[in-house]
Amino acid sequence: MTNVVNIVMGGVFHASILFLVAAGLQITFGVQRVFNLACGSFYALGAYFGVSAVQWYAGAGGPPAFFVVPLVLAGALIGLTGVVVERGLLSFVYDRDETFQLLLTFAVVLMMEDLIRMTWGTAPVSTSGLYLVYGQARVAGATVPVYNLIVIGASLAIALGIGWLLTRTVFGRIIRATADNREMAEALGVDMRRTYAKVFTLGTVLGTLGGALVIPATAAMSEMGVELIVEAFAVVVIGGLGSMRGAFVGALVVGILRALAIAIYPELEMLVIYLIVITVLIFRPRGLFGGAAA
Amino acid sequence: MGRQGHSRVILRAENLTKHYGEFRALRGVTLGVSTGEFVSIIGPNGAGKSTLINLLTGLARPTSGTVRFKDRDIGGIGPVKLAKLGMARSFQLVQIFPDLTVLETLQAAVAARLGRGRRIFASLTGDREIQDGALEVAELFGLGVRRHALARELPQGDKKLLDVASAFALRPEIILLDEPTSGVSTADKTRIMEILVRAAKTIGLRAIIQVEHDMDIVFGYSDRIIALHQGAVLADAAPSDIQADRRLVDMVVGRRH
Amino acid sequence: MNRANAVALAVALAGVVAVPWVAPTYHVLLMLPFMAYGVVLLGLNLLFGYTGLVSFGHALFIGLGAYTAAFLTGACKIRSLEIILVVAAAAAALVAMPVASFCVRYVKIYFGMLTLAFGMVFYTFLLKFYKLTGGDEGMPVARPFLLGRDLGAMPKTEYLAGPYYFYSLAVLVVALVVMWRLVHSPFGLCLKTIRDNPAKAETLGISVRHYRWAAFVISAVYAGVGGALLATPTGNVDPTLAYWTHSGNIVFMTLLGGFASFFGPLVGAFVFIYLQDFVMSVVPYWRLVFGAILAALVIFAPGGLMGLFARRRTVEVI
Repeated sequence: MTNVVNIVMGGVFHASILFLVAAGLQITFGVQRVFNLACGSFYALGAYFGVSAVQWYAGAGGPPAFFVVPLVLAGALIGLTGVVVERGLLSFVYDRDETFQLLLTFAVVLMMEDLIRMTWGTAPVSTSGLYLVYGQARVAGATVPVYNLIVIGASLAIALGIGWLLTRTVFGRIIRATADNREMAEALGVDMRRTYAKVFTLGTVLGTLGGALVIPATAAMSEMGVELIVEAFAVVVIGGLGSMRGAFVGALVVGILRALAIAIYPELEMLVIYLIVITVLIFRPRGLFGGAAA
Repeated sequence: MGRQGHSRVILRAENLTKHYGEFRALRGVTLGVSTGEFVSIIGPNGAGKSTLINLLTGLARPTSGTVRFKDRDIGGIGPVKLAKLGMARSFQLVQIFPDLTVLETLQAAVAARLGRGRRIFASLTGDREIQDGALEVAELFGLGVRRHALARELPQGDKKLLDVASAFALRPEIILLDEPTSGVSTADKTRIMEILVRAAKTIGLRAIIQVEHDMDIVFGYSDRIIALHQGAVLADAAPSDIQADRRLVDMVVGRRH
Repeated sequence: MNRANAVALAVALAGVVAVPWVAPTYHVLLMLPFMAYGVVLLGLNLLFGYTGLVSFGHALFIGLGAYTAAFLTGACKIRSLEIILVVAAAAAALVAMPVASFCVRYVKIYFGMLTLAFGMVFYTFLLKFYKLTGGDEGMPVARPFLLGRDLGAMPKTEYLAGPYYFYSLAVLVVALVVMWRLVHSPFGLCLKTIRDNPAKAETLGISVRHYRWAAFVISAVYAGVGGALLATPTGNVDPTLAYWTHSGNIVFMTLLGGFASFFGPLVGAFVFIYLQDFVMSVVPYWRLVFGAILAALVIFAPGGLMGLFARRRTVEVI
């Protein structure tokens, strides 16, 4: 029994991180119709930068109990570099076929992979056991690091925050309107350039935040980016392209299923996820909550 | 076109209705087109012409009622099967293959007609039937001179002609033209219609159906006019009969009383 | 093909034939992956440039071909390269047929996603079922017999820069001739109509789905053969051959050379491999350079290198 709870909790933790990255993907796709392959790269960027921030903080003598503060701040701030990618590259291809937009984001993946290598080297970096500073807790009979619970809580809070942003703020309304009908939104006076820049950056910030938050529990490695994109992609397919609810549910599905698969039959791991993706794409291409089908 | 010899109904629609949710686009349309006829379908926008065309060309399934082409139910069978059965169409918004030349476009149509698409190793340029067939249609439509021009670089009138020509290249038995002269200058309109009629005779087309807004063209070329109004058939008669009835003319041309 | 192009082609061919005699061994060996990728890209461009579909999972078939070579030379003790190439082609076709049936119902981004998923399924299979596939270390590939001759006695570089070089070249030439006939056939013309305007193609009686399926399977066969050719020089195959970024890279190569031209993909393969080699000799960060090149390509020159030389057709986005 404790084993199952352990596995599920692990899965939920992973799902919390996945949700953040997937939410970034969804918002970018929903508004700009661009599938940002580089979201995984921003995740990696957030992870590495987060490690550096925490290491600097520890070196500067900061109390271990508050290490999350520089971590989260670093994670969020580095995500703002997304605006450089958006203004400097993506904005030139909005009028092109989506294939070319996809290829451009692939170019960003390539460039960021090496930029990260150049800055942090190829060896994995981590914050070692720092996260254990918060100790462990007992949840339904299983032992879970408190840090994991904090992350799950934070992710939930962000999910609610996104929901609030979309439904209660002007910016949120603009996002929903543009996702629904871009030309009409433009005709009604929405400044597309600024909206696109803001939306894309919001997406990358969510990604880097996810990367930063996961760091204490694992190590930052050079393949993080390209590996995560496939999981994030599975989440948005299952949940439905462009849907926030889809990102939430999809993340839970992928996170928990993966944890279960690893525990039961390690060879299966991602195989199960991909098979679900293929099944979804064949029988219900718009996923659980997505809009119009292929 | 003029009726010649024995004519029979080749395309028949019976009690066609089409609902899109609450909205009734077509309400019980019945019509028939016989061989040898040139039929025009007219009506103001929103009368249901596009829906009718889509049903007649198998692109959509009727909510109720049937469409029969050569006594075969063609409801929703799709464009590919329909082309093979012998019906071709052109589009209101001109459809071309932008990166293919005029000749290549027509070659594709002829190749499809002859079922040559399966030949993966045969030479295209070496296939005399395809080459001759394509050239013939090009000449017929006055596009022979520009046959090596890229479709997207043609002037609008020629693009329209190419769209129609590729439908003709299928040697269909019946052809459905969706606003063949729209977006074209007045001078070009007559040119296109003349070419159309001449081409039809040459390839032995059995019937032509067109959707048109230009009343001069409609009254000048049709054997029969079908007027649609709010999803139902308002009139189905020869041009002379329609012209005799003033009220009908006004309603058909769209004036409200 | 007009006179100027034919001459250029003859010169290029003569150049490639001459390389083993005039160039240093290092460069001769670099031609081997170029030729293998050349075959792969010829097939990929049938799908990309001629049919308008961008696959992000094509590396699946490269991996399939490569692992076929490893299996045959290893476990099955079959060393004839002719048999290896035929089996690789057949394996690719067999796998491609059902995969294509699923994938060609969709276009653009959904097609890309579905192919990416299939590619990663194969990658995971290669990685996880290590008892069968050797896991992340992969499997070795023994030196194959060429035309029935066991050349095991030859030193490796002599074998690769000599008989194997010309064998690969022969395979590439055959692949070229076959693909040329394919794209200049009525079948090829139908593919182009589907690329340009699928709705109109259907009204001409061209079944879009069937043709896309055929193009997919043919391009998979090419990728399988190329993968098998790729395996021998390195002497080893590993799962990264099927990873999604490998699929992305071959699309990149095709774009680099120019997808609107028949020889574009070959140009792309050549430039990519040599440029990668050059950049890596200077600094290990070839991805940064290539990422920038891809970005520049997409923004300024989507027609690729051949597109810059195009006279008749100005390149439009698919």
